[in-house]
Order: sequence, then structure tokens, then C-alpha cells
Amino acid sequence: MTFKSSILGLAVVALSTMTAQADEGLSLEGKRIGVAVVGTQHFWDREAFNGATSTVEKLGGEVVPVDGGRDNQVHADNHDVLLTSGVDAVISILGDGAVEPKFEALKSAGIPVFTVDHPSPHAVNNTTSDNYYMGTTIGRYMADAIGGEGKVAVFNAFENALRICGIRTGLWKYVLQDYPGIEIIQPELAEEFANAPEDARKQTLDLLSQYPEGTIDAIHVGCWDQPAIGVVQALEETGRTDIIVTALDGGPDTLEIMAEDGSPFVANVAQQPNLIGSTAAMNVARHFAGETLLPQTYVDVVPVNGAEEAKAAYSSLGYGSLE
Amino acid sequence: MAEHGSPGRLSRLVDTAPLLIFALLLAYIAFEAHNFFSLLSFKLILNQSLPVVIICMGLAFVVMAGGDDVVSGGIDLSIPATAVLCAGIIAQWLATNGSLPVAVALAAGAALLVGAINALLVTRIGMTPLLTTLSMFVAVVGVNNVVTSSRRINVSDPVILWLRDGQIAGVPVGIPIVALIALSFYHLAHRTRIGLNMQAVGGSRDAAETSGLDVKKLQSASFILAATTGFIASFFVLARGSGSSPGVENNLMLEMVLATFLGAAFSGRRVVTLWGAVLGAVLVAAISIGFKSMGVNVFWTGLIKGSLILAVVAFGALAQRGRR
Repeated sequence: MTFKSSILGLAVVALSTMTAQADEGLSLEGKRIGVAVVGTQHFWDREAFNGATSTVEKLGGEVVPVDGGRDNQVHADNHDVLLTSGVDAVISILGDGAVEPKFEALKSAGIPVFTVDHPSPHAVNNTTSDNYYMGTTIGRYMADAIGGEGKVAVFNAFENALRICGIRTGLWKYVLQDYPGIEIIQPELAEEFANAPEDARKQTLDLLSQYPEGTIDAIHVGCWDQPAIGVVQALEETGRTDIIVTALDGGPDTLEIMAEDGSPFVANVAQQPNLIGSTAAMNVARHFAGETLLPQTYVDVVPVNGAEEAKAAYSSLGYGSLE
Repeated sequence: MAEHGSPGRLSRLVDTAPLLIFALLLAYIAFEAHNFFSLLSFKLILNQSLPVVIICMGLAFVVMAGGDDVVSGGIDLSIPATAVLCAGIIAQWLATNGSLPVAVALAAGAALLVGAINALLVTRIGMTPLLTTLSMFVAVVGVNNVVTSSRRINVSDPVILWLRDGQIAGVPVGIPIVALIALSFYHLAHRTRIGLNMQAVGGSRDAAETSGLDVKKLQSASFILAATTGFIASFFVLARGSGSSPGVENNLMLEMVLATFLGAAFSGRRVVTLWGAVLGAVLVAAISIGFKSMGVNVFWTGLIKGSLILAVVAFGALAQRGRR
């Protein structure tokens, strides 16, 4: 594990060095950059936002920040505010279908849009994690953790609403096709976008009362891991920690839960939201410097399988130490 | 008494304080924010406030007919949930290839049902409107979660897209439509017998009863009207979001309550009025858009907005106390 964690550490250091090198010569001096984030309550959103805003400032730009308060409608409306206030470019973090017409309006007003975790035909570039790898990896880890067979409940509210979730959950299901012994419990569960942990806790308690001990093997959260916090709470409250939990995102809050002794939360894939936000800001500067950007920029993810890897990822991603 | 020594100047100051705070704030925003005082931003403010303007008028009717005591008087907190439920029903129906007219009829039916249940619980069973409609809010959101499976549904119906993108002489179509709706509600409240009777009931229930008005019927009518505004607002919720997203009701609820009671601070007698509610909704939108275009730190905006509302409402309460 120490070897793996030092490799991880090196990888992260290497990435930040690359960022620092690319930094040279880039500037956003005199530019006003709108940064629209869907919410700042969750670690992922907040870190992506902090990464984007601090990098814009570091490059000499002025940030016009807007926060959707974890409401997709407010988030979409905020793009109109940025359009009206005449920013030079917009970095838009997350968001559902409601933002598409707003991107289109920004684009036709000559304001380039750079998205984070939201591929769009109206954006110059989308910076995101390697969602394909995330989906397949968590599928393999989950299948292994339950011995290749069993019943699985899935929280899957966003597979059809957000493309990134379509990729992650779709590829998780793709992997499960090769495990005929694994059955996904129908109907799938739909978690709330705001208040996700508490909502998922309640839904899990309901689920557990429907499925007595031994009739359910895993609970997976298809696109993120805030609901998994509530899922784990419900399992601990009812003493059903034989059921394993898997999810995606791997912020410090969920890595801490995974690192606990006997935690039912066994697998995750950690992202680097700060680096993603920062990379999006660099891409804005690259665009203004005349570089042609690819439609997608992928930022590395860190697969986390088990408590020891959770501790290793926690320290290599710079969140501190869980030893 | 000493504190009543110069009541004129002090009470006038207290009276005008909310207006002054807002005027100063708007002036500050206009000075600091890019393009705030422009036609574009004026249109944006009006356009973004449309759903709130409509449901605020619904709430204003209920307060006018039930009296303005927040606990025992008229209030309807379920309107935002009704709006979101109607939007959910329309989106879900359209998504399964249903036609818009049927979707609209289903949504209207649902809204009327919510209004009728509210009216029944408050006027026949005698429950307090605050608790009744708060529970109704939770129940209706629950129904919407069942209808939409808590999922986002995109809507691309041409009528909804027209509401979103359509313009008449450069003005987004929603603005004149809502202006017309506001005018007809004004007519209903101030130029028709039922509207005037409703206000009489809210002003003094006992006096209204003595003069032979059917108080229960009039209060019921106000709940039905409120639910109707929820139904109307659902079209603008759909247009704004290009579909229905779960969770929209919370922000709508907050803004509706803030705007309606903020609006009361602008009326001469500090009571909830239709125009006050409309003005309140537009001002809440203006201030929040202003803060955003100024680039105020997002971690602070909640505190600033909250303090502002507290200040205005506190001055309102002071002014009312001074009068009693």
C-alpha cells in the first residue's frame, strides 16, 4: 500500500507540476470571467469552484462568481446574469438540461463557454474526469466485492438527465452484463439533488424494511457519493453492515467513512475537483492565447478499493492523514 | 412621554426606511455592477421574476381574504408546490408523447384539487392556514416526486419554447403576458364584488360576517385562486427550466414569502397588497441579480440577502407598532 500511495503521490505531484509549467506564458489579464457553479454545499462542487476561481485570479483575471444554491434552475438563470453583465468568458460547473439554451445564448453573443462535467455542443471545451474509466472500474470493484452474484439496489436519478451520469451508470451496467448472477433491484431508486444524504438515508431505511436480511447484497450510488453517506448511516442504524456500499467521487468526507474499521463502504473512484476547475480556467487562458482546444479535457481519477486504499488516497490527494 | 416627543419625524423615518434601504442598495449596485442599469438587465430582472410574481399574487389574495396575521390569518405556502406539480404533470405527460391540451387539463385539475382541499381543511375543519398549507406543500411535492420519479424531464413543446424564447417587439413574451395577468387580477381584487368582499373579510372577519357576507365561501375562493396562480406559474417554471427539475419548489417558496411580505413594507398601511407583492417579487429579483453581477462572494450572499429582508421587515413592524 505504501508503494501504491507513493506512486499516487508522485502522479499527483507530476500533474500539478505539469499544470504549473503550462501556467507559464498564459494570462487572463484584463478579462472578466464568469464562474457559474450549481452549488457550494458539497465538497466536489465547492472544490471545482475554488479551483476555477483561484486559477482565474492567479492568471490575472477578474472572477464574476454565481452560485445556484444546489438548484439547477437558479444555476441556469445565473448564466443570464453573466450574459447581461458582459463577461469575457464563462466557466460553467455541472448543471442539467436547463443550461443548454443559456449556453446557446452566450455563444451567440460571442461569449465562449467552458464547461466542467457537462459536455455541450455549445461549449468550447468540457473539462471532466475520465467518466468511462470511473463507471467500469466501480462496476468491477462492486462485482468482486459481492463475489460476482447477488441483488443490488442502485440510486440512479440522473442517468437520463446528466450525460456524465449516463456514462458512469451506463458503463457500470455494461460491466454487470458479464455477471449474470447479479440482479439490479427494480424499480431503481431516485435520490434528491439537494439534501442527498438525509434523503438517501430515509430511502435506504424503507428499502431495508422491504428486503429482510440476506436478500440484498449491495447498494450502489450511480453518479456521485453524497447519498452514500446517508446509505451508510441507515445500514449502521439497522445493523445491516453486511450490505456493501459503492459510489463515485471520493471526496474527503466519504474517504473518511471508507477508512473506518469494518466500514460497509468498500469501493469508490476519487476525482480531483480542484484540479478539474483549475484546468478549466487554464483552458480559458489557452483559448484566449489562440490555442485550439480538444472538445474534452480529461483529468485523472484515483480508484479506491477498500479501507487501506481510502487512507492512501486521502493523503495522496492532499486531504491530510487518516493513519 | 419622552419617546413620543417628536413622533412625526421619527415615524416618518421608520416609515420610509425600507424604501430608503432599497433605493440606496439599488443605487450602490447600479454604481458597482457592470451593465446593471441597462435595458437588457431590466428585461432579465422582469423575466426571471415571472413565476414568483404570479405566485406572489396568489399568496396576496389569500392574505387579503384571511387577514395579515402570519399565524392565524391567511397564508398559502403550498402554491410553489402546486406550480411544480403542474409543471411535473405537464412535462411527464408530454414526455410520454401525450398532447399539450390534455397535459394542461390534467395539471389544471390537480391544481384545483389542491386549492379545494386547502379550502376545505381551513374553512370547514377549521385548521390554521399556516399548518394546513405547509403540510400540503410537503404532500404535493411528494405527489410530484411520484409523478416524475424525482427525475428531471426535458420539455421541447413549441408552446413552452415560445414562452421561453419568444419576443414581441424585443420584449420577452412572458413579460406582457404576466402584465396582463396582473392587470386582470387587479381588476378582480379591486373592481369586482367578489374581490372587494374578499378584502372586507380579511380586513375584519366579524364585520364581514355581521354584514351578511359568506366568509367561508370567500376564503375558499382565495385558496382556489391561489392554486390557480400555481397552475399559471407552472408554464413559466417549465419555460425557464426548459423542463421540470426536482427541487425548484424550495427556492420558489422562499422568494414568494420574502417578496410578498417585503411588498407589504411598500404599501401605505403596511399590509399585503397585489401591487406590493408584484413589486416585492421584482425587487427581490433585482437585488439578487445585482449582487450576482457585482461578483459578490457567493459564500456571503445568503447572509446579505437575509439581513436585508430582516431589516426591511423589522422597520415595517416598528412602523406598525408606532401606529397602534
